[in-house]
Amino acid sequence: MYQLNKVDKKFPGVHALKAVDFKIGRGEIVGLVGENGAGKSTLMKVIYGAYQPDSGTVTIDGKAVRFQNPRQAMDHGIGMVFQEQSLITNLTVMENIFLGFEQQFVRFGVINWTAMAKAARHQLRKVKLDIDPSTVTSKLSFAQRQLVELAKVLTLEERIDGDLVILLDEPTSVLAKEEVELLFSLVRELTSRASFIFVSHRMDEVLELSDRIYVMKDGEVVDVVEHGQANIDAIQHKMVGREVDKQYYREQKQHPYDSGKTLVRFDRVSVAGKYRDVSFDLHPGEVLCLVGTEGSGREAVLRTIFGLERPSTGAVAIKGNPFHRATAQEAVARGVGYVPRERKVEGIVNGMNVYENMTLSQMGKYASHGVLRIREEKALAENWIKRLSIKTPDVYKDCGGLSGGNQQKVVLAKWRSGGSDIFLLDHPTRGLDIGAKEDVYDMIREMCDDGAGIVLVADTLEEAIGLSHTILVLKDGEIQKRFDGSPGGKPSPFDLVHHMI
Amino acid sequence: MSIENLKPYFPWITLAVLVLLVGALNPSFLNPASLVQLVADIVPLFIMALGMTFAIYIGGIDLSMQQVANLVTVVATVYLVQYGIFVAFLCIGAGFVIGAASGWITTRQFVPSFVATLAMGFIALSGARFLSGERALSMNADARDASFGWMFGNTVGIPHELVIAGLLLALAWFLQSRTTFGRALKAVGSGELAAVASGLKVDQIKILAFALSGTFAAIAGLMFSVKLSGGDANLANGFLILAIVAVLVGGTPLTGGVGGVINTLVGTLIVVVIRSAMVYLEVDATMQQMIFGVILIVAIAMTIDRSKMRIVK
Amino acid sequence: MATIQTADKAGTWVGIGRETLVKWAPLLVLIVLCGFFAAIEPRFLSTRNFARILIAASPALMVATGVTFVIIMGSIDLSMEGTVSVCAVSFAFCFLWLGGTLASWAWLALPFAMLVGAALGFVNGLIHVKLKIPSFMASLAMGFVGTGLAMVMTGGDRIRIEDELFRSLLTERVLGFPLMVYVAGVFLLIAWFIQTRTTLGRNFYAVGGGEDLAIASGLNVSRVRVLGYTVAGVFFAVGALLAVGRIGIAETATGNDFMFLSVTAVVVGGTALWGGIGGVWNTLVGVLIVFVIGNGMVVIGLPGYVQDGVLGILVILAVILSTDRKSISFVK
Repeated sequence: MYQLNKVDKKFPGVHALKAVDFKIGRGEIVGLVGENGAGKSTLMKVIYGAYQPDSGTVTIDGKAVRFQNPRQAMDHGIGMVFQEQSLITNLTVMENIFLGFEQQFVRFGVINWTAMAKAARHQLRKVKLDIDPSTVTSKLSFAQRQLVELAKVLTLEERIDGDLVILLDEPTSVLAKEEVELLFSLVRELTSRASFIFVSHRMDEVLELSDRIYVMKDGEVVDVVEHGQANIDAIQHKMVGREVDKQYYREQKQHPYDSGKTLVRFDRVSVAGKYRDVSFDLHPGEVLCLVGTEGSGREAVLRTIFGLERPSTGAVAIKGNPFHRATAQEAVARGVGYVPRERKVEGIVNGMNVYENMTLSQMGKYASHGVLRIREEKALAENWIKRLSIKTPDVYKDCGGLSGGNQQKVVLAKWRSGGSDIFLLDHPTRGLDIGAKEDVYDMIREMCDDGAGIVLVADTLEEAIGLSHTILVLKDGEIQKRFDGSPGGKPSPFDLVHHMI
Repeated sequence: MSIENLKPYFPWITLAVLVLLVGALNPSFLNPASLVQLVADIVPLFIMALGMTFAIYIGGIDLSMQQVANLVTVVATVYLVQYGIFVAFLCIGAGFVIGAASGWITTRQFVPSFVATLAMGFIALSGARFLSGERALSMNADARDASFGWMFGNTVGIPHELVIAGLLLALAWFLQSRTTFGRALKAVGSGELAAVASGLKVDQIKILAFALSGTFAAIAGLMFSVKLSGGDANLANGFLILAIVAVLVGGTPLTGGVGGVINTLVGTLIVVVIRSAMVYLEVDATMQQMIFGVILIVAIAMTIDRSKMRIVK
Repeated sequence: MATIQTADKAGTWVGIGRETLVKWAPLLVLIVLCGFFAAIEPRFLSTRNFARILIAASPALMVATGVTFVIIMGSIDLSMEGTVSVCAVSFAFCFLWLGGTLASWAWLALPFAMLVGAALGFVNGLIHVKLKIPSFMASLAMGFVGTGLAMVMTGGDRIRIEDELFRSLLTERVLGFPLMVYVAGVFLLIAWFIQTRTTLGRNFYAVGGGEDLAIASGLNVSRVRVLGYTVAGVFFAVGALLAVGRIGIAETATGNDFMFLSVTAVVVGGTALWGGIGGVWNTLVGVLIVFVIGNGMVVIGLPGYVQDGVLGILVILAVILSTDRKSISFVK
């Protein structure tokens, strides 16, 4: 029914899609997997009309179509459920559902709110969501918002005659397990009305839901697997292009830590509303991983060490000294380095060049009486560019223009060159391609060998297990379980999940 | 060289085109002596725009500058006889304190700088009206010449005002591009959250930026007061908007982090060339304001670099 | 001037209490102010005094209402001084040319002035959207053009409107309040209607709440923006008509002081400069706060030079009280 034939898309410097063939039949659920940077998101943007292909054709029921914008794609029955936060939170649920298509409820220029509410209730029933359509969206939970998104896309059903194709982009990333199952049963039911393209990095979910799976790597579809013939290892092998094994997380380089010294000590620390009664010690050479679902308090622990949250009870000590009137400046002065999850917003300053970013946390060392010694800054940057093989034309390059992996290297270089020995890594590999991830893993091992302590919030459970010496599982702000992660004795993801939910 | 590489120079190109255009229409505009005088006359505006640059560079705005300058003209006039040249410290101190107060209200009390500085301006105006007794005051001519006469001399044909402006520009440029403070300003302007996550004292930096804009407003007010030999709670009126326009035309956008004091120099020159060109080209007085507005739109459309703007608000 | 908001995930009952408080804070401030002035000088509460406040506030209320729509979109419109002047002057010329009294065809000058306002707003919006100039600069420059245009039209002269029927806006009183107050009230209701019952009004909130998301939903954001400026222009025109009705003179200076006054009033009323929050009732409260402060200080006999300063302090306090500090991480 919907088909892409030899679709090609190039961006300056990147061949994002290489002659991609893709098709989806009526009522099918098609999975789309691939590492970050494999071309998944470009392909989706072509499908829902945000990008136009350079060559190749898009056909619906054999007829060639070309979309200039998402609106035209919608008019052909193609809708997109975005990963997160694509609802406008200051509007009501019904306004969000019918945004851009309010005209049907307008009589003589006046919106008939009752009619809109009625229609909205009809849409919400399709996704089995029982809420008042005039609720302001910001009051909903993330799971509810996800369903509202789906309801919004399903309005296409009334609006157009043809078949529907609905893209689900990582729809489960913010959902709890029960909510995921609810969503899946809903999607299966809805196949009577629409086809789905399901994009997720959770391989088990893709396997469970999809009739067929497209595996992408480097802008190409490297395999199409039918449901039933799929197996996780094989797909992962195709995605990555080689075995994902212990080597991947550099376990062979994991050395025991020095338990004689303590870098950070948490003694029954609580932050009101975030977490309670958390105690742990971080030692030199140790990777301590905080595992838990979104909102379990893991990020808040990181922010406490960096002085962005003040403990309401309990004591935090850094290198033996109490950390009372905590501020970020104080934390930096004591050797704490923070690699935030929002790399582009909090990690690097978009608009400042490489050396400016690298010395941002330690300008005092490169200045006398407040006057910068820029030559030394550049020398430092050149040194670290070489050391971490950061791909940048020169030190004057705007960091906003670097690739994700290189941005992350700049952030790490910032803290390492400043002599930090306590690293707080919040999703350090998020959005990086495989090669860049491996570089980060190498660096983590290297830092440990240098005697640094690392508190990690990992992107996936596998990553957490592979990297850490110690794993703390948090749930609802409390530590549930402590695991030892020495090579050979590592827990399985299943062991952890058991305590997370 | 592609268009992309030329972007930072658009304000300069605009300025050059304007000057040549006006020169072609009326060659007497290009007479060096009159050009120098033209530039010397706008020094107070330029100084105010320099200060405004700091506020806009961190993504804020300072609407109190005009009233700070007003207050300073009154302070300078009232206390000149008493303190002599040291009245300058009083004036600059007042500007610094008012600016810092605006900064504190903005950063610590979460009042948008648009409102906070506007309100601080009202407070400064109150002070000016009180101190002046709501009258236009004039300076004691002897004391003025004794303390500040040096401001308006000529050395080898160069007006001292220009020297002062040049020194302040050099100082501002140095602060912006060679000091940790300037670097921190840039970080706050282009990525405040990243600056926080790097452990910078963001609040302090922002307060200091507003204090600087207040200080420059005070210097502008002082020069103004000496030049016109008097003080009045309305003396500097009309300068605020021009200062903002000068900064924006120079290519420092309201979103912060881009541009800087050199851009402000170009921006001020563009504004002045447009204004004086209308006199040289004998544009009817009633038409000037309208033509100024139209040319301004064209100038801004030409000079702003849109590549960093995702959404234009 | 931009603010980054952080999602408040802990949306518990504590949050609701704070939210409600913040929502009603501007009105509380207004009531407290009135109570304060009334306690010091009971005459403050007289109908005559209230009429005085409302007469002074009506034109500003219209201008502020217009700019409210633009601010809800997260943009700003600083062209009001120019637009008000041009509308006032074109009304006056048209009015006098058509006979100079409302009893004749000269009433057509009223809709004509509003058309002029709409046209100026439309051009303003086009410049902002099509030339991709940030609204602050685009509208500021359009303000210059407007003021200049009014100057060209009048040559610097004042135009007197002496038609008694038109001046009855001020002179004719019903229940102690002049007609212009009721006119302003009607247009406020119209604005409220636009805000709550029309697609356009709701789309302002969508654009202010998340412009990129609105685009992704298929909303024609450019069109909404241009229309927003056009609607604002119409309200500026109404403000101009009331301003002319109040003093009986149209001139280039008719628009003076509206810019900072109206934006301040909008912000004091609780509409956020970063868009998406607030509305016309907030603006009504904000305008009243500003004018009650001004009037109250005169009534209780504060010396003139103190008034500006007190106004400044109170404006800051009002904004602090109505800011939900927990939900924002920084303000510019």
